[in-house]
This record gives sequence, C-alpha cells and structure tokens, in this order.
Amino acid sequence: MQSSPLNLRRAIIWIGRLVLGGIFIYAGYAKIFLPIMHPRPPIGVALAFFALQVGSYQLLPPWGVNFVAHTLPFAEITLGLLLIIGWRLRIWAVLSTLLILGFFAAVVRSYAAGMQINCGCFATPEPLTIATVIRDGALAALAMVMTVLAFIETRKPHPWSAPQSM
Amino acid sequence: MDRLRSAGSLPLRLAGFFALLIASALGLWARQSPAPVPDVDPHVASGSKNAPIVMEVFSDYQCPACKTLFMTTNRQVMDNYVSTGKVYLIHRDFPLPMHAHSQVAAQYGRAAAQIGKFEAVEQALFQNQEKWEQSGDVDGTVAAVLSPAEMTKVRALVKGGTLNPLIQKDVAMGRLYNVNQTPTTVFHAKGQTYPYAGVMNYEILRNFLDQLGK
Repeated sequence: MQSSPLNLRRAIIWIGRLVLGGIFIYAGYAKIFLPIMHPRPPIGVALAFFALQVGSYQLLPPWGVNFVAHTLPFAEITLGLLLIIGWRLRIWAVLSTLLILGFFAAVVRSYAAGMQINCGCFATPEPLTIATVIRDGALAALAMVMTVLAFIETRKPHPWSAPQSM
Repeated sequence: MDRLRSAGSLPLRLAGFFALLIASALGLWARQSPAPVPDVDPHVASGSKNAPIVMEVFSDYQCPACKTLFMTTNRQVMDNYVSTGKVYLIHRDFPLPMHAHSQVAAQYGRAAAQIGKFEAVEQALFQNQEKWEQSGDVDGTVAAVLSPAEMTKVRALVKGGTLNPLIQKDVAMGRLYNVNQTPTTVFHAKGQTYPYAGVMNYEILRNFLDQLGK
C-alpha cells in the first residue's frame, strides 16, 4: 500500500527545507552584500566587518575568525540552495542541523556569559538577546525534526514510484 | 526515471536561484544614500581630520568593556593608524544611567579636553576605573595626573555646567546610530557607516581597517 504524497511528515520536511533554506540563503547573502548599507560596500569589506562580529563571540583565534568569516556566508548560501533543491536531502539536512546547533551553542554560551554583543546572524547590528536564543533554538529544533523525518521518509516507497511487483 | 528527471532539472533550479540572488544584489547596488557626517568636537578627537577612515567610539568611563577596548585595541589603533594619518579617532561620551559615576567622569573628561589634557585624563580614568568606581572619587583620580593649576581650571569647568550639553550632544548622536550599549564603535569610510557593538580584537580590526582603506 502506498502512502499519500501529502502527509504531515512530508509537509514538515517541505516546511523545514523552505524555511531553513530561505534563511540560510538570506543570511549568507546579507553577510556578503550587506543589504542594510547604501551604497553597497565591496565584498572584502563586508566579510572583514563580519569577521569583527564572529570575533566578538571570543571562541576562535584571529586566524580562525578570518577563516570562518570568509567561508561561512558561501557555505550558508550553498546549503540553503541544496536544501531547497532537495537533492541528496539527508546529507544537507544533517550538515544544516550541525551548523544550526553550532550557532545555537555559541549564542547560548554568549547569552549565559552575559556578553553584550551583536548576534551577527544577518549582518545587522542586532543585539544578542533572549529572543535570539529562542529563535535559534526553534530553528535548531526544526532542523532536527526535518532531518529525522527525512531519514524516516527514505525508508518508505515514494508515492509516485512504480508499484512493487508481487 | 524520477532520478533522471530530477537530475535534469537541477541546473535549471540552480540557475534560477543564482539569477535571483544576482538580480537582488544589483538592485541594492543601485540604491544610494549618503552617510551622516559626524559633528566632531576636536578636543576629544585624535589624528588627521582628512584621514580616510573615521572611528567614533561611544564610551562610558565606568564600563569595564570600554576599559578593555581602550587599554588593548584602541591603543594599538592610535599607534598604528591614527599616528600615521589613516584613522581619525573620535571619543563620544555615552554615560549609561546604570553607572553611578559615569556622568561625573564624562564631565571631568570633557573639562580636561577643554584645557588640552584629554588623553592623560582619559587614560587615568580607565586605568583606575575599579578604584573610583568604588569610592566615587573621580576628582582625586583626575587630580593625580594634572597640575594644581590645571585642576583648578577643570573643577571650574565642571562646576560651570557648560559640559553637560556637549555630553548630551554625543548621546543624541549615539541615538541616531541606535547605540544602546557601550562600547559601540561607528566606522565611517567612503560614505558608508558601519556600527559595531562590543570589544574588538586588534588583529581582526586591523584586517577590517585595511579593507576599508583600500
């Protein structure tokens, strides 16, 4: 017996892919192009400015900060696109979940330590508050649920695939 | 077959997303608006007014993070960027209501600036922050680095009440930039404004300043 093409599990996976994929693409885009600024600064300046925000978390040495600042935005855009496209979803869902959990851990640590810093999530001067912690926690939960459901879904036959011969 | 179909549409989907990304980037490029020109009190500024980069530091003498920024990063900025004419560094007073002696310390700092002793007093206030924070003896801290004659002038300026409007002007400027914590540094270069809240590591800041100066 085939499962319906539209069920709760698939709906959650779709929501997760669209929401997380969209957020990743916008977050990466915002860090590279600084859309809040007019005129738009060169990419090198935007990434060096993002490095200041990464550095404010005081988690990495300067070389690590520069490496993250110059690679993370591109990784976010790539992951976002791959999530939305859905090709080899389980791989990108796992990577996305690990990345969001990493963000969540950094945000929780900084908030618990009382660090008065900007989130740096979307390259805006957004202070890191309890709202940031809740938002990142919700995104981490969504990513985990999407990943688990993506693995469950692959065990079942695709609703549009040819029926198995008896 | 499904796999073949999805593999065939993959480049199209990718091309679509990249086209959207590039289109929106170009659209933002076209929108331009000038950055605000800072209203500068030269008594509390260091370096050349013609420097390509302007750094406004919104600071509170009683804030520990401001002390860290001053004692570590900004000293190196003074040595390597301000003294070489690359950065014009402006002190902005932003005394926070949560700090009991911030306003008084800001008054003494501005008074010292009026008689050309800002750097010495700024350094004394930050270096001895823990002492005067406990005792409230801002006057004694400042007196330790000024001559009696200079101290007389500073006390007269503080009592004169003419310094509070200068401090309030800085606070109002901070509100324009949505400053809500200290230290907040606002960078200006090539008509753009970059606000940053918190302490900065000098090595990382150096990279940013070098990019701004290109």
